[in-house]
Amino acid sequence: MDRERFERRLTVLLAVIGGMLAVLAIRLWQIQIVQGEYYLRLAEENRIRVTSITAPRGQIRDRQGRPLTLNRPAFTVSLVPTELQHPELVIPEVARRLGMTPQEIAAKLAEIPDRPYEPVRVRRDVPKEAMAALEENRMDLPGVLVQVEPVRDYLFGPLGAHLLGYLGEISERDLQTLRSRGYEAGDLIGKDGIERIYDGYLKGRNGQVQEEVDAQGRPLKRLARVPPTPGDIVDLGIDLDVQKAAEEALGPRIGAVVAMDPRDGTIVALVSHPAFDPNRFATGILAKEWDRLLHDPQQPLLDRAIQGGYPMGSVFKIVTATAALELGLVHANSWFYCPGYYALGSRIFHDHEEHGALNFVEGIAKSCNVIFWTLARPVGPENLAKYSRMFDLGRVTGIDLLQESAGVIPDPEWKQRVWQQQWFPGDTLNTAVGQGYVLATPIQVARLVAAVANGGTLVTPHLVTRISSPEGRLLLRLAPPPSGQIRLSARTLEVLRAGLEAVVTRGTAVSIQIPGLTVAGKTGTAENPHGRPHAWFAGYAPIDTPRLVVVALVENVGYGAEFAVPIAQRVLQAAFGTGQPGAPHPAPAPAGGTRPDDTHP
Amino acid sequence: MSAALTGPPLPSPTGPGRFFRQLDLPLLGATLALTGFGLIMVYSSTHVSAHPFLYVRSQALHLAVGVAVAGFLLAVDYRNFASGARPLYVVNLLMLAAVLVVGRTSLGAQRWIALGPLGQFQPSELAKIVIVITLAKHLTDRPGPYRSVWELMPFLGHIALPILLIFKQPDLGTALVYGAIFVGMLFAGGARRRDLAVIGAGGLLLVPALWHVLKEYQRRRLLAFLHPTLDPLGAGYGIIQSKIAVGSGLLWGKGLFAGTQGVLRFVPEHHTDFIFSVVGEELGFVGSVALLGLFLLWLVRGVRVATVARDRFGALAAVGIVSMVAFHVFVNVGMTVGMMPITGIPLPFISYGGSALMTMIWATALLLNIGMRYQKAGIEFDASPAVPVRVIRLRGRSERLEE
Repeated sequence: MDRERFERRLTVLLAVIGGMLAVLAIRLWQIQIVQGEYYLRLAEENRIRVTSITAPRGQIRDRQGRPLTLNRPAFTVSLVPTELQHPELVIPEVARRLGMTPQEIAAKLAEIPDRPYEPVRVRRDVPKEAMAALEENRMDLPGVLVQVEPVRDYLFGPLGAHLLGYLGEISERDLQTLRSRGYEAGDLIGKDGIERIYDGYLKGRNGQVQEEVDAQGRPLKRLARVPPTPGDIVDLGIDLDVQKAAEEALGPRIGAVVAMDPRDGTIVALVSHPAFDPNRFATGILAKEWDRLLHDPQQPLLDRAIQGGYPMGSVFKIVTATAALELGLVHANSWFYCPGYYALGSRIFHDHEEHGALNFVEGIAKSCNVIFWTLARPVGPENLAKYSRMFDLGRVTGIDLLQESAGVIPDPEWKQRVWQQQWFPGDTLNTAVGQGYVLATPIQVARLVAAVANGGTLVTPHLVTRISSPEGRLLLRLAPPPSGQIRLSARTLEVLRAGLEAVVTRGTAVSIQIPGLTVAGKTGTAENPHGRPHAWFAGYAPIDTPRLVVVALVENVGYGAEFAVPIAQRVLQAAFGTGQPGAPHPAPAPAGGTRPDDTHP
Repeated sequence: MSAALTGPPLPSPTGPGRFFRQLDLPLLGATLALTGFGLIMVYSSTHVSAHPFLYVRSQALHLAVGVAVAGFLLAVDYRNFASGARPLYVVNLLMLAAVLVVGRTSLGAQRWIALGPLGQFQPSELAKIVIVITLAKHLTDRPGPYRSVWELMPFLGHIALPILLIFKQPDLGTALVYGAIFVGMLFAGGARRRDLAVIGAGGLLLVPALWHVLKEYQRRRLLAFLHPTLDPLGAGYGIIQSKIAVGSGLLWGKGLFAGTQGVLRFVPEHHTDFIFSVVGEELGFVGSVALLGLFLLWLVRGVRVATVARDRFGALAAVGIVSMVAFHVFVNVGMTVGMMPITGIPLPFISYGGSALMTMIWATALLLNIGMRYQKAGIEFDASPAVPVRVIRLRGRSERLEE
């Protein structure tokens, strides 16, 4: 290309550049000179107000699609810092009407210094009477904004509180990382449970209104409105009826209940008592009430089903039996003689009863301690720890909840490290029957029993099964893979299952029998330093094709057969409809443990 | 031709070290004025805080580093860059790919690579210069004439790869800058207008397809521009507030440092992409137009460098740099005054941002480099362009270089 043509083209380029800059200059003339006064007025009076429309939070539903949470409309009172012309007058007045102190309101205003045009929520869910009074004096209160916002409604109050979780105002730190994902100052965000873990789905997307307002804050002209997008629907494996039955069966006692599908780990019921009412949090909990929950000696905020570490008592005999069977130390027809005690050197370990001559399966059924003490020494502490860990005891299950406890599986090395003491033969005996240092959570026990029921698969317990859009389009199906597969010989499984069945047919848990439903399980009565023993029952049903694992734990009450078995029975009845699938739900089960059980634990 | 292009004839350079005497002083002066202006505006838009000098200090530091490196860029004959075009292009692609792998995410986009104590670095900025250099070399190696649109395809492929990588980050604005560089350089390089129009139309047809690739926030911004009433989530709010800020400056502005208390806290990104709204508010129509005038001077001198460049490579590289800066200015200011969608393109020399500032300094250095090694050219360009002087001398053909 010759230089002349090149220079011609450069001239065109220059003309284009000049034209572009000229267009910019004309535009500047237009908005700075022609319309300048208009913009100056807007600038000085800050007359554009932006309010966000809180998105309705997504529903949480049970396995049959019944909602566990909804949203209800409620009044929210906010202050707009830039419209607040007389804060010294308005703040005390608003505080008085809302039953707050002016200091509280001033503190809330100080939290968000960088966006003074955004309304700051002072109080959610303001009662109607207070609202009426505020509305009357609206003209004297410029800068006060009243909006109707959806508020989380937990339909069944404390039911499933620990698994559902609760809401709270987003913290400054969370806001920094989440702002780009549509979170705003003052938003409510899940602080625990499903609400927290699946917050990104449940939250939805806030909408927005931009309007021009007059000096009194009255809207003159709406500039734009973006409707909010509701949050996604989260479906749980929880069955509302089973959950209710479990909570009622546990009653006022302190403890936990787990019901889980042993085939894939779907949680059907998850109870921890005492609980709290998440509705109290839904609008921002008061500091005083929060403090009371936090310092309650019964620890209502603790989710005992996944965070409580308990000695397992005789439920641990499943592990000891597995170890003895796999090591070839015992088989189904090994005979034992139980004189009612076991001598370790000069020390005598007393069993609760003299069982006489019995084989291994009967030993499991009657929960004979002497047999397990006898097996404890040849199995040894290392093998007890090894087989415990094979069942993933001492490790979190990976359930979709926060702060799960891993429990403790002791061995000599552990004792030396933690207690600076050597391991005594007596420790081995205690461990073999689930006393001593072993600690496990009810959810871990549920997974252990599920592994026996399903042939060795260590399922990953999970609450959420599906997430779908508000329109019902499936977004996500959750089926976490098992954390492992245990290789157990067929014979071992057979003996374990025979033992657990015998527990129900003729052993320590005969009281659980439900017409038309075959049940297997193990009771436990865990001595502990806090008072009376913890009562355990862990089992599954039906025995041929197990579809439900139930674990019940009651703190400091007494025998497992007396206190835990009836709870498991109620749960099974609710889940299986008195053994007839599809039948209407049964009348409440007979209260208590039917008869005093002297063959425990 | 504008007056700036047809000034008095420049003195003929003689002797070694003569080049620095040939520096284009108006261009240098415009650059100094723009960067100084930028520092003041960065300070003005960030001084109301606990650390009033935090941003301006960082900006000055980047400026100092940028100038130091620019000195080196001036000392080396620009034709050396041409011979290194191929490795430059490859390294550039690797850098852009690296961002996607190890990049730091901010505001939903991966644009930065962490450099430990040096802070972070945005490869897509430096890539602008690399693309100018490599495309200029490419256009020199295939000098045309380009008789059909198909003959432009190699060049399209040349920029398509980096554009795709940038798009993945996603950084729509920067990808558009590459497009502007491409159009400017191909036009100056002799491509037929109708062929460029075909490519432009093809790009427009791609828009619906690209729509699915765009991140949600980018779609929102585009929609907010096309339909302000839809105004999804604040994208339009920024435009409204920016217009209010600029408009309220009136003729003379509210005075330097006087704007931040009032309106500017409403304008998002007011020290980076929206810094022109600070200019508009504080310095008014007069100050804004003066700033545009400085840019005009810079751009006119840049075009002049293209006209006097000794070879096709230098001339086209100069055009690429000019196109880049012109596009930046037009889109950035246009966005601030509500004429353009929000694309996240900074205002050259003015906006806060180390990588962008250094890139602009280095681009200027490259322009000055090309300008000071000019040769009183004949009708045709130097027939063996893009080969460094030294190499030719080694081959014993130095007579070609004698003036």
